[in-house]
Parts: sequence; C-alpha cells; structure tokens
Amino acid sequence: MIEFPLGSEMFGIWNWADAAIRIVIVVLVMTIVAMYLIYGERKIVARFQQRLGPTRTGPAGLLQSFADAVKLISKEDIRPDGADRWVFEFAPYATFIPVFMTLCVLPFAADWGVRNLPLGMFFVFAVLGLNIVGVMMAGLGSGNKFALIGGVRAAAQMISYEIPLVLSLLSVSMIAGTLDLNEFAAKQGDYPFVILQPLAFIIFVTAMLSELHRAPFDIPVAESEIVGGYFVEYSGIRWSMFMLTEYAALWSFSVFGGIVFLGGWNFPMGNEWGWGWQLALTFIKSALFIFFIFWVRSTVPRLRIDQLMTFCWKILLPLSLVQVVANGFILVYDGPYWLLSLTSGVGAILLIAIIINRAFRRRTATTSLVGAYRGAQVSAQ
Amino acid sequence: MATEVLWWIFAVAIVATAAGVVFSRSVIHSAICLILSLAGVGAIYAFLMVEFLALTQFLIYGGAVTVLILLALMLTRVGATGLPDKVTGAQAPFAALVGLGLMATLIGVAVGTKWPNDIDDAPTNIPVEQISEVLFRDYGAPFVIASVVLLVALVGAIILARQEEGE
Repeated sequence: MIEFPLGSEMFGIWNWADAAIRIVIVVLVMTIVAMYLIYGERKIVARFQQRLGPTRTGPAGLLQSFADAVKLISKEDIRPDGADRWVFEFAPYATFIPVFMTLCVLPFAADWGVRNLPLGMFFVFAVLGLNIVGVMMAGLGSGNKFALIGGVRAAAQMISYEIPLVLSLLSVSMIAGTLDLNEFAAKQGDYPFVILQPLAFIIFVTAMLSELHRAPFDIPVAESEIVGGYFVEYSGIRWSMFMLTEYAALWSFSVFGGIVFLGGWNFPMGNEWGWGWQLALTFIKSALFIFFIFWVRSTVPRLRIDQLMTFCWKILLPLSLVQVVANGFILVYDGPYWLLSLTSGVGAILLIAIIINRAFRRRTATTSLVGAYRGAQVSAQ
Repeated sequence: MATEVLWWIFAVAIVATAAGVVFSRSVIHSAICLILSLAGVGAIYAFLMVEFLALTQFLIYGGAVTVLILLALMLTRVGATGLPDKVTGAQAPFAALVGLGLMATLIGVAVGTKWPNDIDDAPTNIPVEQISEVLFRDYGAPFVIASVVLLVALVGAIILARQEEGE
C-alpha cells in the first residue's frame, strides 16, 4: 500500500510488515462482512416480503453464504468464445482494487486503519473514479450486447452521480477544515456533522445508492431489462469476485459515510470508552446504513434512466452547489454554526418536498414512445 | 535502495504500457494500457512524495479522461473488440517525426531546466494548504476565468451534441 507521510522509514522493512498485517486483517474482516451481508440481505429482504429467507444451512441459515462460496468456487469458469480474453478475465480484479484501496484509508477506530492519509477524503474521490474502469472492462470485454449496455449505463450513471457525491462531501469538509478522515471523526466528539449538514447527508446517501447500483438506481444491473448487466457472462469464481466487490463496496461506503456524517468512531463517547466501543460504533453505524439500503431496495421500484439523470443534474447538482456557496459565505464571515444547520435544513426540506411533489404529480399527457406510437395509430384510423 | 528498485519496476511498466497504447491492435487494449500507464505515473508521483499531484493524477487522468476515451470509443466505433485496426497509413512517417520531435523537446527541457526548490535532487513536498492558498487567493481570478472557459466549452458541447425534436 502506498504511504505518503514524509520520512526515511517510508520503505523500511518494519513499515512494510506492519502494513501487510493490517491489510490482511482488513481483507479477512471484509470477506466475512461481505459473506454475512449477502446472508443479511437475503434475510432482511425476505422479511420485508413476508418470507423466511435462508433457513436450512446451519442454525437459521447462518452458513448459507459459506455453502454458496464452496459451490461457486467449484463451478466451471466459463469464458465466452467472443470475449476479449485478457480484458474479460481481469475485469473482476480491476473492479475490486479501487474498493480495496478505499478500505485501506478508512479509520475503523481512533488512529487505526491500514494507513491514515492527510488527504484521505481526496484519496477516496480519486479511487472512486477508477471504479468505473473495471465495470467498463467487463462490459466491453464480454462480447455481449447486454453486458455492453450495462457497462455504458453504469459508466453514465457513476460519472453523473460522482459530482453531487463529491460536492456534498466537499461541503462537509469545508466545515471540518480537513481532508484527514481520522481527524474528521475526531472533530465530531460533541455532535455528528449530519446535524450541521442534513442536505449534504441526503445527497450523499442518494449518490451512494447510485454509485453502488442499489435499488432504486440499479439500472445497470437490472435483471428484467438486461439480464444482469455487465457481469452477465461471468460464472464461478469470477462472478463471486464481482459479488464480493459489490458487498465490500457497500460496506466501505457505509463506513465512510459513518465517519464523515455520523461521527465515525467518536460519537457518542468514543474517546472516553476506549477502542472496543469505537470499533462497535463503526460497525453499528455501517450496519444502520446497510439496513437502510436494504430497506430502500425492498420498498422503492426501479427508476428509468431519464428520471435518474434528471434527478441528478437538475435537482441534486444545483442544491449541492448552492450548499457549497452558502457554507462558504457563512464560514468566511464567521457565522454561527446554527446558521449552517438552518440553511442546510431548509435545503433538505426543499429536496424532500421536490421528491414528494414529483411522486404525486399527475401526468396530463403521455410522452413516452409507446404512448406516442399508439396515439398516432389511433388518429390514423 | 528499495525506492530505486520500485522506481525501475514502475518505469519499465510505464514504458511498456505506453508502448502497448501505440502498438496494440485493438482500441480497447490501447485504452486499458493508457489507464495503466497513467496510473503508473501517479504511483511514481507517490514515490516522490508529492501526494497532491499523485492523487490528482489518479483522479483526472486515471479516472475521468480514460472513461471519456472509453465512452468515445463505444460511441464512434462498431465492433471495436473484433477486427484489428490498421495502425499505419500514409501519414505514418510524419506522425513518427512529430512524436520523436516532441519527445526530444520534452526530455531536453525537463533535463535542462533548473527547477526551483531543486537543491539536492530530493523531492520537496508542498502541503496542500499552501497549494490551495496560491490557487484560491493569489491567483483567484485566473482560476475563476479558467473555470468559466471550461463551463463555456461544456455548454457548447451540449448544444452541439443535443438533437432537438424534428431535426
């Protein structure tokens, strides 16, 4: 792992050993978390749909993911004839590397991460951009039209939603006055930043759903439209690599959001009660995020691509820009912190009002292609 | 010592992938080689401990530009994975001349210039706060003007790309 602080010990052997041990710990925890997230998603979504979910393998189905993993590893690794060999085979790893690098800079407890960078948040932005490359490799290399469409959709969606995501995080880091993720959590001992920036929090959660391709933004991986999107041709170990990446990304985004908005390891009482409670806080907050994501998935139907893009460019982007400008004015003229809460709260209420208004707005005329076609047919008769 | 070994590994990797960009028969392979090459340059920046430049390299070149290249590839070419494209044409000698000339100029300038702060060939790390001070306070107006230029280009691109109903 790359480490930035100045000093001659940067490439020393102990530094490498230390980093290696930390990486192994994080990767092991990540794998187990990803396995139980798959189990948890199946259980929670099943409960939302009045089913039981997995119950057979182990007590209450707790070993289901391990059984699935064994099955997936022993499955034949099929490569389609029309696929571009190297692009196809390396795409799962290319999607995994950015997620793994994000995990390497997150502080899970006070001063404990693989490495804490002074520019941690900027590092996360930079690495998130690389995430698209693996998806595009899978989409282009599969030699499959559905995979290609899925890849294009994923790229368009991720590029679009990265802008409100970064702007909302920027408005928080303006208040924190730092890009260091550990310091971010350290500054939230009294209250989490979500109180100061509710609008940024809502924008972050929305953009996060989109970056992770979770419902209602799961257009690139829509089973009923493009039979699974960019990883349609994958099977066995490579497919499970995509699954691992997806759930690891879910977890790392949740931990990241917890650190930036909900106080990370520090709120409440993180400094007083020691590292055990700090770790517990990190996991509780990420679990809250993840439960919310599963809840949204089982509640909200999938959007269309034009609704998705309209929402991003016409609503989220202007609101997040206005928030950055308002924060700038308040912070430069040393305004009180309640003013930040007030402006951001008004913005949050406005955003929710816009969403509710759009949801309940009655369409007066059909503008869809099918509707226009049928209308033309009727008038021709 | 370890730094030099790593430097040589990355230097070879950058040159190899850069050659891959030029000589690869498939445009997709070229684009992926370009991503790898640019990411390698970012890693070299990281070894030089200029962290801001390294992350900017990852963010701008590693992510955004290459994605735009991939999108452009998909929008313009049909069957890009299939048949190998012809890489040489009548203009090849001139292209080689321009490429070699540019390379010679860049290497000459980079080696020949006495860079500020270059005392004993040790990299100097400028903290990001100082960069932002210069960017947003000392040169605030040029920064804003540059962003306006970019915005105009963006709006122009949308106008060019947009197809009105009935056109």
